[in-house]
Amino acid sequence: MLSAPPDKAPVMIGIGEYHVGCEPMMAIGLGSCIGLVIYDRERHTGAMVHIMLPDSSGRTDRPGKYADTAVPLLLKQLFESGSRKTALVIKMAGGACMFEYFGNNLNIGERNAERVRAILAENHLSLAAEEVGGRIGRTVSFFPAEGGKVTVRSADGVPHEL
Amino acid sequence: MQELGNIGAAHAATTLSQMLSSTVEMSVPKIKVVDISELAEHIGEEPAALVVFELQGEIPHGGYIIFYISRKSAVRLTNTMLGLTDTDRPLNEMDESALLEVGNIMASAFLDATAELLGFVMLPSPPSLAIDMAHAAMQSLIAQMQEEIDEVMLFSTELVCEEYKIDSDIIMMPETSTLKTFVERLENLMKAP
Repeated sequence: MLSAPPDKAPVMIGIGEYHVGCEPMMAIGLGSCIGLVIYDRERHTGAMVHIMLPDSSGRTDRPGKYADTAVPLLLKQLFESGSRKTALVIKMAGGACMFEYFGNNLNIGERNAERVRAILAENHLSLAAEEVGGRIGRTVSFFPAEGGKVTVRSADGVPHEL
Repeated sequence: MQELGNIGAAHAATTLSQMLSSTVEMSVPKIKVVDISELAEHIGEEPAALVVFELQGEIPHGGYIIFYISRKSAVRLTNTMLGLTDTDRPLNEMDESALLEVGNIMASAFLDATAELLGFVMLPSPPSLAIDMAHAAMQSLIAQMQEEIDEVMLFSTELVCEEYKIDSDIIMMPETSTLKTFVERLENLMKAP
C-alpha cells in the first residue's frame, strides 16, 4: 500500500511527535521548532518529525522532541522498512527566532537547525532543501504519495513548494 | 490557584475597560495542563498578536505572562484607541506601539494583584511582541523555558469587549519552580488565622 488519496486529512504531527508512512503529514505553527521531512523517492513513502530542542541530554522518553535523537530514529525506521540511503530526499523548515527581546541569546531555532545538519552529516546525508530562520512562523505539509511534495506556509502566505 | 488567576485577570480587565472606556466582560479563569504534543489543539495557527513578558522580581526567570489577541481584534482595539475606522488593514508601527502599551498596562495590573495576594514581588520584563501564527509564538516560549518540560500549565482568562467586538486572553505560563512557590504561599495564606 504505497498510495494514499491526496485529499485525505493529514496526520497532524504535534511537538515532539513523528510519523512514518505514505499518508499526508502536517506540522502547524513551527516557531523555533523544526519540521524535518525525509522522503524515499523509490518507495514513495517517508517520515516527518516535529523537533523542539537540539539535545536530549540522555532522555529517551520522547525521541522526536530532540534533534540528536529524532534524526537517527527516523533513519532507523526508514531503513528497517526497506529504504535505501541513496533514495532519501531530506528537507527542513522552521528554526525561527520569534521574539526579538528574549530569544536572541538562546536562539534555539538556529541551534536546532545546526544540530539537524550536523547529525545528518554524521550519517553522510545532507539536506536537499531548507527554509529556516527569520522571525516568522511556518506550517509544513508533506505529501509522500505526490512525489514527496513539501509545502511551507507562513501566517499570511499561500503555501509554496520547498 | 484559580483565585490567583481570577484576581490577576480581574485587575487586567479593569484596566482594559478604562483604556477603552467601555465594558469588558471576563470569563471564568481556566487552568489548563497541556501536553506539548497537544498544544495545537488549544492554540492553533491563526494569526494573532502576542505581547509577552517574562516574570521577574523575586523569582528571576519565573515564566511568562502573555496578552493574546487575534489579529482582527487587535486592529479593532488599536482603531478604538487611535480613533481610526478602517478594519481591513495590516498592523503598522503605530498599532505595534499601542499593543505593547496595552499589554504593558494589563500585565502590570495582573502581576500587581497577584503579588499583593501572594506577598511577593513579580515584575514584568520589557515586552516583546510577535504578530504571527499563535502556535509558533507559544511554541517558541515553551522551548526556551528554564526547566525543560513535557507539559505546561496555562492560567487563561478571556476578556471580551462587546461594544468594539474585541476578544482577547490574558495567559500566565509559570515555570514549575514558580508554581511550587505559588502553592507554598497559598498554603501559608490558608493556614494563617
